[in-house]
Amino acid sequence: MSTALLEVRDLSCRFGGLMALDGVSFSVASGEIFGLIGPNGAGKTTLFNLVSGLTPPSSGSVIWRGAAITDLPPHRRNRLGLARTFQNLRLFDDLSVLDNLLVALERHSRSSSVDGLLCTARHRQAERQRREAAWQLLEELGLSALADRQAGTLAYGDRRRLEMARALGTDPALLLLDEPAAGLNPAEKEGLCALIQELRQRHRLTVMIIEHHVPLLMRLCDRMAVLDFGVRIALGSPNVVRRDPRVIAAYLGGDASGETP
Amino acid sequence: MIEALLQTLLNGAASGGVYALVALGYTLVFSVLGVINFAQGALFSLGGYLTYLLMGGRIGVNGALPGWGLPAGLPFWLALLLAAAGSGLVALLVERVAFAPLRRRGAEPLLALITSLGAGVVLVNLLQILMGAEGYAFPQESGALAGLPEVLMIGGARIRTIQLLLLLVCSAAVVGLSLWLERSRGGQALRAVAEDATTAQLLGINSDAMVRLAFVLSGALAGLGGSLIGMSVSLPGPYFGIGYGLKGLAVLVLGGLGSVPGAIAGGLLMGLAEALVPAEASGWRDALAFAILFAVLLLRPSGLLGRRTVDKV
Amino acid sequence: MIDNGLLVQMLLGALLGLSVYLPLAAGQLSLATPAFYAVGGTLAALLSTRWSVLGATAAGGFPVLSLLLELVLGGALAGTLALLVGRLVLRLRGIYLAIATIALVEIVRVAILNLPFTGGAIGIFSIPQPFTDASGYLLTALILLVLTGWICQRLDTMPLGRAMAAIRDDELAAGCMGIDTTRVKLTAFVLSAVVAGTSGALAAHFLNTWNARQGSFDVSITTLAFVILGGSRAWLGPVVGGLLLTALPELLRPVGDVRLVLFGLVIVLGPVLAPRGLVSPELLERLGRWGSPTREQKP
Repeated sequence: MSTALLEVRDLSCRFGGLMALDGVSFSVASGEIFGLIGPNGAGKTTLFNLVSGLTPPSSGSVIWRGAAITDLPPHRRNRLGLARTFQNLRLFDDLSVLDNLLVALERHSRSSSVDGLLCTARHRQAERQRREAAWQLLEELGLSALADRQAGTLAYGDRRRLEMARALGTDPALLLLDEPAAGLNPAEKEGLCALIQELRQRHRLTVMIIEHHVPLLMRLCDRMAVLDFGVRIALGSPNVVRRDPRVIAAYLGGDASGETP
Repeated sequence: MIEALLQTLLNGAASGGVYALVALGYTLVFSVLGVINFAQGALFSLGGYLTYLLMGGRIGVNGALPGWGLPAGLPFWLALLLAAAGSGLVALLVERVAFAPLRRRGAEPLLALITSLGAGVVLVNLLQILMGAEGYAFPQESGALAGLPEVLMIGGARIRTIQLLLLLVCSAAVVGLSLWLERSRGGQALRAVAEDATTAQLLGINSDAMVRLAFVLSGALAGLGGSLIGMSVSLPGPYFGIGYGLKGLAVLVLGGLGSVPGAIAGGLLMGLAEALVPAEASGWRDALAFAILFAVLLLRPSGLLGRRTVDKV
Repeated sequence: MIDNGLLVQMLLGALLGLSVYLPLAAGQLSLATPAFYAVGGTLAALLSTRWSVLGATAAGGFPVLSLLLELVLGGALAGTLALLVGRLVLRLRGIYLAIATIALVEIVRVAILNLPFTGGAIGIFSIPQPFTDASGYLLTALILLVLTGWICQRLDTMPLGRAMAAIRDDELAAGCMGIDTTRVKLTAFVLSAVVAGTSGALAAHFLNTWNARQGSFDVSITTLAFVILGGSRAWLGPVVGGLLLTALPELLRPVGDVRLVLFGLVIVLGPVLAPRGLVSPELLERLGRWGSPTREQKP
């Protein structure tokens, strides 16, 4: 039915004397929404950095559609279909909202630099196509009115959505979302949930989410992995994970779901 | 044979000592601010000219006040100290004008490279207007060698006394600075700010004062170096310090940005490497420092003793 | 006064400003422009004197076609050097990159000074003239500037230019969005070198003599000042900066050495008083036509 799109195998990452990740393994199936939770410092963002290629692992491998990509740089992984957002938002602040998307949509249409320099018909057509695709994404994410605003001047919620739109622009198969709900109020969090599900449907995405607000993931995810001190302590459906004693203990004795089951 | 080698080694160590002084100046500022003071070379020149004037030297025909000089000259060692202090004060001025405004605004660190470059250009050209572009030789009567023979015989080798003195002064400065950094309250405070400015501030250390202190010291070191070169060779023109400043950069990278022992080791290595260039290829000597710099940047950017930095994602 | 000769120098200044601008537009502070300028100039000087293969006449004349060939060759040689060196150097970031480019300038300068065929400290002189007066050079320089400016303008609405701007903004994120940052940075670096090399070839003939000092660290500083003053956010900035700062010292000639002090002051005070330079994005917005994003319309 669904094949493993992404697999991390025995992934470890050492920073100085600290093991940020220690032998983590799991796989993400095509089409599912996969959650990654754990207390602060558990290694979640480190895992994203390893998967997206920003940090090399000390050992272990990252496997994409059955082939190892551990040695590939970030841009090559993105071209294979892996896109991400950042916990602290890394928009191109000096560029317009539209330009942020156009950068991501570079590969959407074929045109060479020579075409660009000579302003050939092919270049103009490619630019038109990119712009159409950009506007579509802007509409989808509710950002149309802000197209020519400088990205750095946007309100926080809009910046979050722009970062998602930009990642979508690279036409990914797997979207890594790093704390997409951070700083959002409960109503906005609901909206985000719905948005992610819509996007998964419409763009045929697989999604992997890091999130602190666990109840959100409980509703959203098909499966989850729980990290604590760099080690995977649980893996499975939200219901299974929520009842796992190790998970409960890791969250300092509280119920992992944060609400009455 | 041995004499020639000894002579070469001594020359290398002497010029290496001067490079170490320049590099230490860079290191002090870099460690507290994370930026490189590109005016360092200009301060090197300044020190040389200050010492010359304090020793009673006269301004040449191309200068702004031809023939002017102090009514009485000071002995070399006194002039040296005063000139170093003067360079330190000018370095403080550079900090106020080229660095502080950017820091206040939280501007990108690379901009400080540019403004300090500009400050250096202003300084060197003011020197040129004042003194003219010609070469100056230090007055010998009140010179460093007062009373001492010009050449010493050590184990059959003829050594220029001035080279030995240069090496001694550099060593004293380097050792003095290291001890001060290690042992004294001020030195430890400076190192604390270098390590972590926020925490140091919380501990009651006035990091702004430490920054200013770093600049004064680095200016003094540069001024010291320029004076020593002026004494042992001559002052070929205000731009000579720029060349030392650039080579000092090479030493800084070789030793590792922010490392005091690295600056010292790097300086010595650079000086020795240059001294070992055979006379036939002496025109290429200047390129050696930059070839080494290139190689270091490509093979081991953190230098010999520098710290590796990791990008925060 | 501003005569044709000064105009040529101003245009050359503008070209060198653009040479510094191009890597900066991709977030790379490269001070290597003088090295490539020197390479181009030296090649042109050699091809028309020592290695006389392009038809210099006994009376000191030179076919215009040969000049054009030299421009192409000078640019190509500089570009090739940039390609070889760039791969290594562009791995470095920030201050390390800047220092590496300074090292490159010094190495090239000393090489030109010491190689047996480049004329040593005196350099090469009596470089033949393709034009009888400055107007020929003026036209050539103008064409070069228009060409380069046009390329820069096209970049603004091309994926390559947008990628450069993205890298300048956040190189890490740009990589994660699929941009091959090394290739883009290298392209900017090579373009910068080609512009500098071509300008050097023209300058060698215009100035009639050429030596190692043409490619010294001083030139790094002055060309950087062009970009600081003019503004680094739009290609018009370095052009304006180059034109102004080349003209100014000549007009201030009576003031003598003070002009270099003024240069220095521009560089010290520029980033503090006018962080975006003269040709700032805000100014461009108000002028409406070039540079900044215009009002976007839904297709």
